[in-house]
Amino acid sequence: MNPQTKSTSLSADLNNFIYGVSRRNFQNAPELTKIGISLLKNFPAARDAVLEYFAMVFHDAVNVSINQVDYETDSSVNGSLESVSMIGPELCNLGEAWAPFIAPWCINLIMNIATDKANIPNATLQSIDPVRVLLDITTQNLTLLNSEERAKCIDMMLGCRACSWAVGWVGRAEPALVAPRALALGPDAARAVLAHLANHPPALFHVRAALVELFQEAIKVDSQADKKREVIPYLLNLASKSDIVLKALTQDIENTLTDEVMERLCAICAAHRHSGAWEGVGPASLVTLLLRSDIHCLFLLLKHAQKNLFCRQLLEYLLQKLEYECLFPDRNVPLLTSAAEEIEIVREKLLTGNQLEQYSVARILILVCYNLPSEFVSTISYLLQHSRNDTTLALLVRIISGTITMHTPNDSTEISTDTERYQNFIKTGVEYALRESMMSDTQIKRCFIEGSVPEDEKTYLHYFCLNIITLLRWESSNRVSHLRTRPIGRAVESNLQRFGAALYEYASLLRIRTPYTMASLPEMPTCHALAEVLDRIDMSGTKAPPPSVEAIIKVVQATVRYFFRCLHIQDILEKMRGVQSACRVLRKLCVHSKLARGAALRELLEAATLREQRALGSRAHAHPRHADPLLLHLNLKHGPITQLTQSHTSVFHAGIIGKGVRKASSQDDGNAIPPILTTNNELLMGALMSCMDGNSGIVEGATSISLLLVELVSPDVMYNGLPWPDEDFTKVSIERELYMRGALERSAECRAALRRAARARPALCLASALLRAAAATLLHRLRAHLDRHTQSAEIAREMAALSELLTTMTLGQLLPHPLSHMLELAPELTASELVQVLRDCLWNYTRDHVPSPALFTCDSTGLHWRDPSTCKPPATYTDTLRLIIQKRISKLGHLYPIMFLNLEKEN
Amino acid sequence: MSLSDLKHSLRKLEFPACSKEALIKIEQLLVGRAAPTSKQLDIAMEIISEFVFCDADRRGGRRGGGLNPLQELQLIDIICDYLSACSNETTKNTIFLSLFGGMENQRKLKILSILASMAVSASSTPVLLAVGVWLQQMGCSSPQSLQLVENIIRDHFYLNTTNLTALKSLASTAPQFVCNFITAVTELYMQETQKPIKLPPKNLLEVITFWVYSTPTLCMSAQLNAAALPSGAIPMAAVTPLAGLVRWCAFAPLYIDEDAEMLEIPPKKIKIEGERGALKTVKAQSESQLYIQLQLGLLQSLRAWRRRGPPAAVAAQRVTALLPAVREYAQRLLDRGCKINTDQKLQDCLDRIGQAVQVALANGCVYGNISSLLASLDTLPENRLLRIVIKTHQQAI
Repeated sequence: MNPQTKSTSLSADLNNFIYGVSRRNFQNAPELTKIGISLLKNFPAARDAVLEYFAMVFHDAVNVSINQVDYETDSSVNGSLESVSMIGPELCNLGEAWAPFIAPWCINLIMNIATDKANIPNATLQSIDPVRVLLDITTQNLTLLNSEERAKCIDMMLGCRACSWAVGWVGRAEPALVAPRALALGPDAARAVLAHLANHPPALFHVRAALVELFQEAIKVDSQADKKREVIPYLLNLASKSDIVLKALTQDIENTLTDEVMERLCAICAAHRHSGAWEGVGPASLVTLLLRSDIHCLFLLLKHAQKNLFCRQLLEYLLQKLEYECLFPDRNVPLLTSAAEEIEIVREKLLTGNQLEQYSVARILILVCYNLPSEFVSTISYLLQHSRNDTTLALLVRIISGTITMHTPNDSTEISTDTERYQNFIKTGVEYALRESMMSDTQIKRCFIEGSVPEDEKTYLHYFCLNIITLLRWESSNRVSHLRTRPIGRAVESNLQRFGAALYEYASLLRIRTPYTMASLPEMPTCHALAEVLDRIDMSGTKAPPPSVEAIIKVVQATVRYFFRCLHIQDILEKMRGVQSACRVLRKLCVHSKLARGAALRELLEAATLREQRALGSRAHAHPRHADPLLLHLNLKHGPITQLTQSHTSVFHAGIIGKGVRKASSQDDGNAIPPILTTNNELLMGALMSCMDGNSGIVEGATSISLLLVELVSPDVMYNGLPWPDEDFTKVSIERELYMRGALERSAECRAALRRAARARPALCLASALLRAAAATLLHRLRAHLDRHTQSAEIAREMAALSELLTTMTLGQLLPHPLSHMLELAPELTASELVQVLRDCLWNYTRDHVPSPALFTCDSTGLHWRDPSTCKPPATYTDTLRLIIQKRISKLGHLYPIMFLNLEKEN
Repeated sequence: MSLSDLKHSLRKLEFPACSKEALIKIEQLLVGRAAPTSKQLDIAMEIISEFVFCDADRRGGRRGGGLNPLQELQLIDIICDYLSACSNETTKNTIFLSLFGGMENQRKLKILSILASMAVSASSTPVLLAVGVWLQQMGCSSPQSLQLVENIIRDHFYLNTTNLTALKSLASTAPQFVCNFITAVTELYMQETQKPIKLPPKNLLEVITFWVYSTPTLCMSAQLNAAALPSGAIPMAAVTPLAGLVRWCAFAPLYIDEDAEMLEIPPKKIKIEGERGALKTVKAQSESQLYIQLQLGLLQSLRAWRRRGPPAAVAAQRVTALLPAVREYAQRLLDRGCKINTDQKLQDCLDRIGQAVQVALANGCVYGNISSLLASLDTLPENRLLRIVIKTHQQAI
């Protein structure tokens, strides 16, 4: 550009500007602003004037904006606003060299505006456009300054009380500079600045750094004594006014207040406590501060309360204050909120802390639980799972009772509904604990991987059960007043089904045992504990609502499973204890519920016959011996092969179908009838009997046992009726009878159960089908064996089976007086005699006297029985016996008077 | 017209008008055939203080606020107009010096700075010449002058960097001002008393190099054109910028970090401006190249010195004053275990001193104690050129 024209244009600009400005009218502000900007660029020396004009424009713009804040207007309508929007970007982009001029100008301008408009709310002022632009310019230019100048600018701003919001805003760019400087102000001013500063999250870090710095400075050994005296009260005072400061101070307080620091602090406090500045920070204000702080502060206080008397007093004061505050339901105490947020560490403290900590934390937890029922539930759950000693359990009791009874006046009418509500929480807590402990058991644990499993490591569920057992014991001792309402017992009863399911799962042989988890531990101790829990609670429905059908069935199934697991235990004492407790649970369940009884008996018998035969000494069903060629297959080879004489393919092999070629020796021990009297069998019977407690329980129970036996043994549902048909008719059903007899013979538990049923008359009648099968087969077998194998093993088995049948029927009073003596007679008789006796005396008698409950009369004591005097069998059924005895009087004579003489006499 | 009447008539006017009027009155008071009496001077000073700068109220006491920036600007505009309109050089200088002569007043200095800066912006020759005279009268290295020069540098080399062409043309339009300006500028930079050493900004260096290189007589212009001073004033001796430039050129190799300079070329600029930018960067010289050019310009200026009267271009003791810093540098090199003979920077420095001394002595523009200068040059580290120069001139004496 030609210098001449340039200089003329410059002076023209200058003249226009001077003339325009001196008119003090903002109508032509945009034009003047344009000129001003170009002057600023071409004629930097005029900056003071231009900036002054700009300041005027800003003032005007602020006025305009404030007055039209309510409704939207186009910024172009007003000259000042338009100018401001032009000035903004220009001043932001002038660059580094300009910043030392622009920044102080901006700050002065902000200060002036703020002072001018001190009566207008900060928020309004901050939100209007010109101020925004100005703040932007300031921020932008501050960042371009070097640190020294920047600090100067910020000091300038801090000097002005009205514009703390601006400091806060601008300071976001430079929190590290602003924060420490703000702290040099009085508490109120500092609070305002920090509040604005803290709206910007990254600045928080610097605020905190500045505060900590100040604090560290104050407690340094060599710093001036009088300065020290002021700082700590100042900080406390500031914290009492500003949440941000409090938060910054209490964040990571463990790192700030280390032990050395505390020592030093104590020394300082002791030295200055009575000086003026410390007046305002007595225990009351400290407690108010602590109420607003977080839980870590409380922990720190707890830690020092061990040694320091003042801390102890402060703690007590704080706790009382907290309890008082909780009386007002709408009060929100930050300390409690923080405790609720970090409830995990609080609870952990409860478990691991020393006595003072435990008791204090318990009080805190009561307050938290009172406010937040969900925390109540989870606290119960946590403590039930993780408590390992009586102290913590006692604390749990205290928390429960404290939470329930808190602020409930004694004459309140709401008690019942409230306790009901809390009872529900406790129930849920127990439920959670149960579920979580089971889940914990399936989680991989470090100690398993490292191989450092403690000697007596227990599963989580086991611990949980032990805790429950302890609590239940305390309840039943009736000495703990808090537990008088049986909260735990009721909660467990409400969760009966879940406990049942847990036992069912743990007692299962098919349980998944993930390696490296608690589940890989032996499960029986846990099962014992679970069984004990079940044993200790009340299932009668008298003290609490009766358990649901589902729960009953689950518990029954679980208990039966547990019972059979116990049968397999080697250690006899443990076995007995387990079996006993299983029986007790069954007894408790069955005494009140027929449903339970039915289910229990069925479960027991089914399990015994279908799954656990071996444990009870029975043989399983005949297994095909795959090593031997099956006869069926051998015979099939017959057809297509070239037939050679005498080759075994041309020969039909004799044998038992399905068992292959008949073995030369059929005397192997496997075929012997298993004995009834074994320990396990007796235990099973005991369990069965324990299901039949109570009034007429035995008869009903035995009846269902009979029915169950028929169901289990009989291959089909037909022909299981009570009547015995004609003997000839058995020829068509002999296969079925054979099968039934075999099944019965193999399983000792069925026979034992049958005997039990026989004792509980008239239950045996209902098993008539089983007796009939035995009788029919005996009849035919004996006839078949008549001449051939007189002394073979088979005949011995037949005899044993016969005596078994006779014993049972006699026991069940199905064979009245003279016939009952067949048992003694039988060993002496020959096969043909036996066939005769069986047919004439047993079969025909029973056929004509249908074994039905109608035969048994109920006497005054409720006992069912057949009076022998009224049910003498007619002579047709006894004559065969009589003739045989007479025929062999030399040998059997001693029986004759017993059987017949009295009969004669009466006749 | 009596004093009170004068003031009375002025008081009737508002601010901008009264200043305008006051300037005319002052001219009437001070400019005449004979030197003004001391009473006239006093009256003029009172008028200046009350009506031009508005520092004093009617009783001569200090007025609080003075002028606000806008009013200052108005005042400057008035002064500028007045000076531009003034036909007589002597009158102009008289008024200018009486307006800004007494430099105890910081506010006046500020106004002067703005005025000077504006004159540079607007290439207003009359004002610049007046400022040049002022610089000379105040002494180029006086604190006030340095402050003024600093303000100009800040305005035109830091804040506004777009007017290099206008600045370059100043050498032809207002050489006296430029000469005194350079003299003052050389005092500001590369002084060994500064910690850390301040280096001139590159654009300033560029402009000065251009000035010196393109106009060899520039450095002598203040001496050649005697200032038109009011009668009775004592003219101050003009100091050439040559000594200062010798220092710059000699020290430049020692202080400039060439590695840092490599980074200085902003790559952003090339991208944005495309081809034109690329051309420009080719043209743009590095600082050390600029110093080489400046050295050449300096030597040309020394040669352009025309012997007329006693030598007055370069004072011998000012050259001598450079030497301790060079020796110190050499000592540091030795301490670090480097060899003096092979250190390129030191040798460059010594070469340049040798060249300048040789040209200056040969052209007879050194004044002062030349033999002590030679003696102290002899104490410098070994340098072939220097050795020859010393030998030649010691023989000549």
